[in-house]
Amino acid sequence: MSEIKKHDTPMVDQLKSGPWPSFVDDIYSYGEKHKKQCAFDLMGQLELSYKHKETHWKHGGIVGVFGYGGGVIGRYSDQQEKFPSIWAFHTIRVHHPAGKWYHTAALRKLCDMWDHRGSGFVNFHGSTGDMVLLGTTTEQLEPVFFDLTHQFHWDLGGSGSNLRSPACCMGKSRCEWALFDTQEIDYELTMHFQDELHRPAFPYKFKFKFSGCPLDCVAAIARADLSFIGTWIDEIQIDQEAVKAYVNGELKPNAGAFSDRDWGPFDIKKEVIDLCPTKCMHWDEKEQKLYINNKDCVRCMHCIAVMPKALKPGKDRGVSILIGAKSVILEGAQLSTLLIPFMRLEPPYDDVKELVYKIWDYWMEVGKNRERVGELIQRIGLNRFIVDVMGMKPIPQHVRIPRNDPYIFWREEEVPGGWKRDIKEFRKRHPA
Amino acid sequence: MDKAELKQKILEVMEAKIKKGGKTKIYLKDLQREIPGANPREIKNAANELVREGKLEYFSTGSTVMFGLPGVGMGLEAGVEKPEE
Ligand code: SF4
Ligand code: SF4
Repeated sequence: MSEIKKHDTPMVDQLKSGPWPSFVDDIYSYGEKHKKQCAFDLMGQLELSYKHKETHWKHGGIVGVFGYGGGVIGRYSDQQEKFPSIWAFHTIRVHHPAGKWYHTAALRKLCDMWDHRGSGFVNFHGSTGDMVLLGTTTEQLEPVFFDLTHQFHWDLGGSGSNLRSPACCMGKSRCEWALFDTQEIDYELTMHFQDELHRPAFPYKFKFKFSGCPLDCVAAIARADLSFIGTWIDEIQIDQEAVKAYVNGELKPNAGAFSDRDWGPFDIKKEVIDLCPTKCMHWDEKEQKLYINNKDCVRCMHCIAVMPKALKPGKDRGVSILIGAKSVILEGAQLSTLLIPFMRLEPPYDDVKELVYKIWDYWMEVGKNRERVGELIQRIGLNRFIVDVMGMKPIPQHVRIPRNDPYIFWREEEVPGGWKRDIKEFRKRHPA
Repeated sequence: MDKAELKQKILEVMEAKIKKGGKTKIYLKDLQREIPGANPREIKNAANELVREGKLEYFSTGSTVMFGLPGVGMGLEAGVEKPEE
C-alpha cells in the first residue's frame, strides 16, 4: 500500500479540544488504523473549506445503480489535485428497516463491506431515515449494491424526485402508546410503492411518515408530505384508583423520568389539569375524582404521559392524516395541515393507497418542477384542494393557522457584504 | 396512445429538443408539457422503461432527477474527469 499523505489541519484539529468526542479524532484514528487516504483528504478539504468559508463539494450526475433512478447521490471534490482520493466520493442511501431495528451481526457485516468498498464512514441515520454510506467511487457502486441486495437483503433508499424511504416510530414493537401498527403499514406501503421509490415519478420528493401516537416521535407533522399519526375517537380510559395513587405520591409521575431532581410532591392541578391545552380536565378534590370532557380533548397526550398507569388512550383507534410538511426549499418551511381527522386502518390499507394515488395523480399533473405537494396546496388554496381535488366536504378541523415559518429570509442589503460574487475569483478557488 | 407509441414520442421529443439546440436533460414535467395527450403516470412508466432499455439515462441535479439521451450533453460524471494516473 502506498504511503499515506497527511495534510496540515490546524483549524479542524481545534475541534478535538472541546468537551465532546470529536468526529475529527474518530476520522483520523480510523484513517491511521485502516490506512485510508480518504480520511486525511477529507479533513484536508474541510480545513480548506474553513479557510475559504465555502464548500468544495460538487454534486449531481449519477443517480443510482443499473435500473434504479435513486439511492445514490453523486459527490465530487472540486480540489482533485490536492485531494485525489476523494475526487469521487458518492453517498449511498440504504433503506432502513421499519422502526430501525437491527441485528448487530447485520451491522457488523455492513461495516465490513463498507470498510472494504467505501470510505468506512457512515451516518445513522439521514433525516429521511436511511442509513447513509458516505463516500465511494463510481466503480464501487454496483458491487456495493450487489452485496447489499444479495448478502444482506437490503435495498437502496429513495432520492431525487422519487418517493423517499418511508419512516415510522418503533410503535407496537416497543411502545405501549402505539395506536396502530406503524411498522406494518410502513412495510406494506414500502413494498407496494417500489416503483415510485426507485424510479423518478414526481415533480419533486414525497415522504410518508408514521407515528404511533400524537407524541409523534418521527416528527411526521414537520417533515412528511403525508403524515399518519395515531389517534382515538372515543374517550380516554381512566383508572380512578391509579389517579389517586399518583395524587397520594404512591406512583411516580412520568414513570419516574424526571426523578433526577426533587420537584416536590406531585401536584395534579399544576402538572396536569392546568397544562391541558384545551382546559378540558377537572380534578374534584372532595370526590377525589378526575373528569375529562373528551369532546374538547385534542389528544395532545400530555395527561397520559404524566400519569401512564392511570390514563390510556381510547379503545376506538385509527390515524389522523396530515398533508404538506416540508423544510425550507423553495417556499419556506411549513408544518402539515390536517386532511383527514380520523381513519381506521386495516391491512392491506386499500383506503390509504387510494388516497395516495388521488393526491399523486393531481400533483403529477398540476405540480410544477420542484414543487412539493404542500406548496401546490398553498398555490391553489387549501379549500380548492379539499373540495375540488379530494372531493371532500370542508370541516372545521381543516385549518391552516397557527402555522409559522421558523426560518428568516434575509434581503441582500441586510447581509454584511451582500451576496454578489466575482465569478473569476470564485473559479480561481473552485476550478470547473 | 399505446406504450410503444408513447416511448417513440418521448424519444422524438428528446431528439427534437437537442436538434433545436435546446436542453439535453429534461424533467418529467417537460415531457408532459410536450405530450399533452398522455397521462403523467404513463409517461413516467414509459420514460423509466426507456432507461431500462438503455435508450434514455437518468441525470441528477442533486435533489431531483432528469432524463437525457445517453452520451448527449453532460456525462454522468458531470464536469469531473478523473485525473490521469
Ligand atoms: S410516536 Fe407514540 S407510539 Fe410511536 S414510539 Fe413515540 S410515543 Fe410510542
Ligand atoms: S390528552 Fe391533552 S387535551 Fe386531552 S385531556 Fe389530556 S391534556 Fe387535555
